[in-house]
Amino acid sequence: MEFIGFVIAIAVSYQALKGYKLANERTLLYLHLSFLLLGAGLAIDGLANLIVLLVRFHRAFLFLSSLGYTINFIAQVVAYGLLVFAYIQQTRTSVSQVAMAAAMPALLFEHNPVTELILLFLLVYIATQTGINYSVNKTASASFVFGAFVSLAIAHLFFLFFTFSAPVFFALAQIAQLFGFLLLLAMLLRVNHPS
Amino acid sequence: MIPSEQAQTKPPSKYRSQLRIYVDIMRVIQRESNEAKPTRILYGANLSHDRLVKYLEELKNLGVIQETGTDDKIYSLTQKGIEFLNNFRRVETFASAFGFKI
Repeated sequence: MEFIGFVIAIAVSYQALKGYKLANERTLLYLHLSFLLLGAGLAIDGLANLIVLLVRFHRAFLFLSSLGYTINFIAQVVAYGLLVFAYIQQTRTSVSQVAMAAAMPALLFEHNPVTELILLFLLVYIATQTGINYSVNKTASASFVFGAFVSLAIAHLFFLFFTFSAPVFFALAQIAQLFGFLLLLAMLLRVNHPS
Repeated sequence: MIPSEQAQTKPPSKYRSQLRIYVDIMRVIQRESNEAKPTRILYGANLSHDRLVKYLEELKNLGVIQETGTDDKIYSLTQKGIEFLNNFRRVETFASAFGFKI
């Protein structure tokens, strides 16, 4: 599932880069970097988990899973932090403390409630901003982006529940995360092939 | 890439960027069935005469519009201009989906 997310994140990142090159708009550069980081984090996490799976959970390789998760967590915090920063710049609100949260140092965690709470906090902010945008624009593309960030926020809420020893939420979180990235893919397809 | 006039810290949409003015001019030309007189562009893009002359010259140099006629000048989009507008529309839709304005 991480690899599907990786491909979609890179596609969004590429579209944002094309937009930045054309319009020279800084928010598009933040969007590009944000999704590039998300993609990189997902790829590293996916690769680490794949290696652990291929060596049949050999004890010597188990640290890779934690390492992959940690790198993915840092990448996500910085990526969502960048997006929050872009929204703050655009809306000119004075909650720059939110962006500061992106710079929080991370320790080696494995689906830790604190890390999930940080990501959830950032994603709720981004989902709110995209929700406000949808309520103003009412376009299908805006609804896909809003839905995507709501799904990603729900995914991290499920990851949070998973940390409280509720294994079923891990699968639900993965599904919600995949659904979020698929909504972003739908938005990309709509932007590039308008009906 | 068409350069932007925007400063490092851009004000919220009170002033149009250079790119936005270019696009507004090109959209007026497109709206006028790709044959627009300067007066139509002037009103459509909400520009002063001096600024219109300056921007039309810049757009001609960029190869996105062309000028025909001698006394009655007519402006039309080139193929490059049409492609630029299509690409810009895509970028605008993409950015707008995230709530960003360009």
